[in-house]
This record gives sequence, structure tokens and C-alpha cells, in this order.
Amino acid sequence: MNFTIPFTLNDIADYIPFLKRKPGRYVTPGGKEVHAVLAEFKTPADVYHAAEKVRDAGYKRWDVHTPFPIHGLEHAMGIQRTILPLVSGSIGLGGAAFGLVLQWWITKDYPIVVQGKPFAAWEPFTPVTFELGILHCAFATLIGMLALNGLPRWHHPIFNSDRFLRCSDDRFFIAIDAADAKFEPNAVRTLLQSAGAGHVELVEV
Amino acid sequence: MSHATTAQLDTHGGHDHHEPDARVLLSRENIYVPEGAGIGFSNLALGAGGVCLLLTAVGAVLHGPKHALASYLVGVMAVLGMSLGAMFLVMVQHLTNAGWTVTIRRQCENIMALLPLAVALLIPYLVLQLVLPDDMKLVQWMRSDMKGDYLLQKKAAYLNETFFAIRAVLYVGIWLFLAHRLWNHSVTQDRTGDRTETAKARRMSTWGMFAFALSLAFASFDWLMSLDFRFFSTMWPVYIFAGAVFSSLGVLAIVLSTLRTFGRLTGVVTEEHYHDLGKLMFSFSVFWAYIAFSQYFLIWYSNIPEETAYYFRRMTGGWESLSAFLAFGHFGVPFFILLFRNVKKSTIGLAAVAVWMLFMHILDIFWIVRPMVYASTPADQMPGGITIWLDIVAIAGVLAIFAGALVRKVSSGVLIPLNDPRQSEALAHRNYV
Repeated sequence: MNFTIPFTLNDIADYIPFLKRKPGRYVTPGGKEVHAVLAEFKTPADVYHAAEKVRDAGYKRWDVHTPFPIHGLEHAMGIQRTILPLVSGSIGLGGAAFGLVLQWWITKDYPIVVQGKPFAAWEPFTPVTFELGILHCAFATLIGMLALNGLPRWHHPIFNSDRFLRCSDDRFFIAIDAADAKFEPNAVRTLLQSAGAGHVELVEV
Repeated sequence: MSHATTAQLDTHGGHDHHEPDARVLLSRENIYVPEGAGIGFSNLALGAGGVCLLLTAVGAVLHGPKHALASYLVGVMAVLGMSLGAMFLVMVQHLTNAGWTVTIRRQCENIMALLPLAVALLIPYLVLQLVLPDDMKLVQWMRSDMKGDYLLQKKAAYLNETFFAIRAVLYVGIWLFLAHRLWNHSVTQDRTGDRTETAKARRMSTWGMFAFALSLAFASFDWLMSLDFRFFSTMWPVYIFAGAVFSSLGVLAIVLSTLRTFGRLTGVVTEEHYHDLGKLMFSFSVFWAYIAFSQYFLIWYSNIPEETAYYFRRMTGGWESLSAFLAFGHFGVPFFILLFRNVKKSTIGLAAVAVWMLFMHILDIFWIVRPMVYASTPADQMPGGITIWLDIVAIAGVLAIFAGALVRKVSSGVLIPLNDPRQSEALAHRNYV
């Protein structure tokens, strides 16, 4: 199984006040840290093929922003399988085990006769075990999904770009993050322009 | 909008994986079975099935017709469930306007088209129930010495031979009509390319689904639940339905895997289709377990004698190990194996799980039917006793005839529906990462 962990220690540092984010390697002439290089495309097909080029160039920390879902884009971007199923499955099974042990422990310490049924019958234990398994699995999936996506957050530097607002209307964007190991502003700009980008800009933090 | 996008991308040939031309995928070598293929196997299976059923008749003489009838009923209910489950799958595909299933729909329809065979196998059983003398009858409420039973008298308005026969004709009529119409819409579209056939099939699936659900529910009351006329469970039809669809998904996976192993449907039914088929098999395993447990749980809690007798009989006298094995094998094994994506995507892996599922489904029907006869018989005729050979030949006979007919059916025509408007969507089907 080929799982990847889609965040770094720097991402975690954003959420914890006393942790300092490592400073970025690149700074704009205005003295601000570079967040990303943002490239604008006019059609879904353009951004799809550009995404394939960025993927093949070996970049890992980047994203495509579109007004609507584009089928197969995750393949063009080379997105790896998420670790979320492992999180959901293990916490769900753990929750089920917790539910079973909880009932066994309560029944052992405080046995009550209900309808003349045996104390240690597996039948009444099953719904609670099942429900606690489902509950833990659901919460693990929701919270895990938010955490893996870096959510919730108040603001994202990508919104510092005015052109980016058209992402919810009629433009398609690729943003390559300055935190990428291969990031070098000029190389990234050249790559995106060769991939057919209409407009390329630096986004400040 | 998104459809237009996909089309645009496809014309650019933009997918990173190699995507063959639709003309190659739909070439004659890929979507037809060679002339005469599988006929040898089919003849062998039909012959073996005939011999097995003759042996069943011998067993009826040796051990009494009740044992033979019960064993035969297990086989018939298993194959009837496979056909009906396939009919449900066809209708649900039409109702949901499913795109990705188009390339596997013809195999569902092939299994569904064996409904007349399943009915033909069922009719001798029903007729024998009605005409045999009392002491040979499997269905207790049909015996004249039972007619004085208080509970039976209260249920006599429903449980009487005349109404039983009328209902049987009604169910069979509904099923054969639905199967005939669904099949005709599909093959007419193969021939004419008329897109309105899709809309017609979809429209008839709406009321067809209701007719199917009600007829299946009452048929399951009549032919399985009423084996013990004192017993009642409103969850019964759902339990039977869950098992039926479970088994038909198993047959579907085996048929598709066989075709793919022989080099057919390459690129037409891909591991992406297998992935989704595996998810369906997984979900029906869980669904069966959910319903089976719910039925048992409510009866266990309420503790009403007419209901608990059903489970009491299956949790004593050696049957408790089969009950536990069913819970483990019908639910536990498919659940944990099908959790893994690699199994769902594998031709051999999914087929192996499907064979196991069919085995468990037949055991499930066996578990429903068989204790009714064994309850009042000597210990040497219990499971594992001398009549076990009768169970094996009767069930194997019915299954072999069904398998032989299925091979003939599959090899007799095109392997996927032609000219379906959603065909390109099915060929391009890919799951999310």
C-alpha cells in the first residue's frame, strides 16, 4: 500500500502558538516571504495538462484550484492514496473494543438482572459495541479529514492574490508552494509558462 | 459542465495511463465468446446435474421423500435467489441511471434470464407439496392432521392450499414478466441502437421494483417461513433478499472473472469495475449480517415461544456449530477480506471470495430449511449422518444444471450491452484515488 502523509512539521507549527515556523527561503523585493507561485489558466483542459507536467517535474507540495470538479484531475496531479482509511479503521475497531470492554466491566462490577437474561450474554452487548465502533469511526474520519487538509484555518496566504478570486468564477489556477523541496521561483515560473499558463505571479505570505 | 469537460479531455488523449481506442475495446474478439466455447462444460454440467437429481430421487426412496424434498428445496431456493438477486441488480442499475455498470449489466441480465429455469426447477417441488400424501409432505401446515391446530386455524385465511397455489402463480408471473421485459429492452437496443429503450427500461423498473419487492417478500413467507407455520418474523423477507443479492453478486463476480481469465472484456471490465463490484459484495455481506442479527436479537429479547422455537431448534442438537459458522463465514470472512482494496481489484481474489460467498449462501438456505425436517428424525439422519449424501447430490444437481445453463446463456450472445447511451462512461470508469 502506498500511503503518503500530506503535511510537514511546518504545517503543525501554524496551529501551535509557541512553535515558530521555519522562515521561507525566498523573499520578494518588498521584503515579504514568498508563499507560492500562482499560475492562471483559461480552460480545464489547459490546467489538466499543466498539472500533468508539474507532477512529472517532481513537485510534491502544490495544488490545483478550479471553479468546479474536473474528472480525473487527481490522477493528472498524481495524488497518492490518503492514510485516512487506516485512521478510520483502526479508531473504529478501537471504539468497538472499547464499547465491549465498557459493558463487560460495568456488568462485572454492577450486575443487574434484566428480563431474566444471562449477565454475560453477547446479544445485548452487540448494538452498543457496533454503535460505539461506528461513532468512533465517524469522528475519526471527520476529524482526520479536517486535520489532513489543514482545516480549520482562519486565512490562507493564497487569498493575497486578487486574480485568485476568479477561481470561483471562470479561471483555473496552479499554485506551487514555496515549501516544496524543489521550489525555485524562476524555474517554477518557466515550467508553468511552458505548460501554457496565461499569467504567473508570486504570492506573498 | 463536468461532462463536457471529460469529453474535451478525452479527445485530447490527456489521460496519463494508456487508454485504448473504443473500437479496439469493442472488437469482436473482446466482447464475444468464440463459437461453441463452453458447450462441452455446459453439457458436462447439465449431464452431471441430471444424474445428481436422479440420485436424489433414489434418495427419496431410501430415506423418505421429506429429506429429498428438503434438500432439493435448498438447491432451488439458492438458484432462484441468484436469478432474483440479478433481476434486482438490473432494475437498480436502471433506476439509478448507473453509468459504470453498463459493461457488467449484460452478465446480470444473463443470470436474470435463467429465471424460467429456476421456476421450472421450483414447480415440481410445489406440485409435489400439494399432491403428496400427508406423511411425505415437508410443509407441515398442508397436512390434514395439522388442520385442527389453533394457530393454523387463525392463519387459515392465508395459509390454505388454494390461495398458496394462486399466489405462487402470481409471483412467478410477475418475475417472468419483469425479466422478459428487461431482457427485451436490452437486446432490442443491441440490435436497433434505439436510446428510448434505456428510458423504457428505467420507467418499468420503477413499478417493477415495487412488484419485485412485494412478490419476493410474500414468496419468502410462503416457501421458506411457512415451513414452520407457527413462526413469524417481519424481517424475514429482508433477510432472504439480502442473501439473494449477496449470492447473485457472487455469481456475477465468478462469471466476469471467468471471462476475463479467458481473455475477454479486456479494458471493458477493468479493475476499477472490480473495485466497485467488491464494494457491493462487501456491503451486502454487512447488510445480511445486520438483518440476520436484528431478526435474532428482537426474537431473543421478546422471548415469545412461537418465535424462539425457530432459533431454539437451530441452537441445539448440533446446529449451534453451523449457526456460529454462518455468522463467521457469511459475515466475518468476507468483511475482513474485502476491506482490502487489493483483493477487490484482483480477478482471482474477488472470484475466490465469490466462491466462498456462494458456499455460505447455500449453507444459509440449508440452515433455514434443513432443521425443519431433522427436528423429528433419529440422530443417524442428522447433518453428518447418513442423509448428508442426499443433501450433497440434490444441491449439487440443481447448481450444476443452473451452471450449465448459465454457461450456455453467457456464450450465446454479446458479453456487454451494445449501443447503451452510457457506454462511454462505463468504459472510462475510474474510482477516485
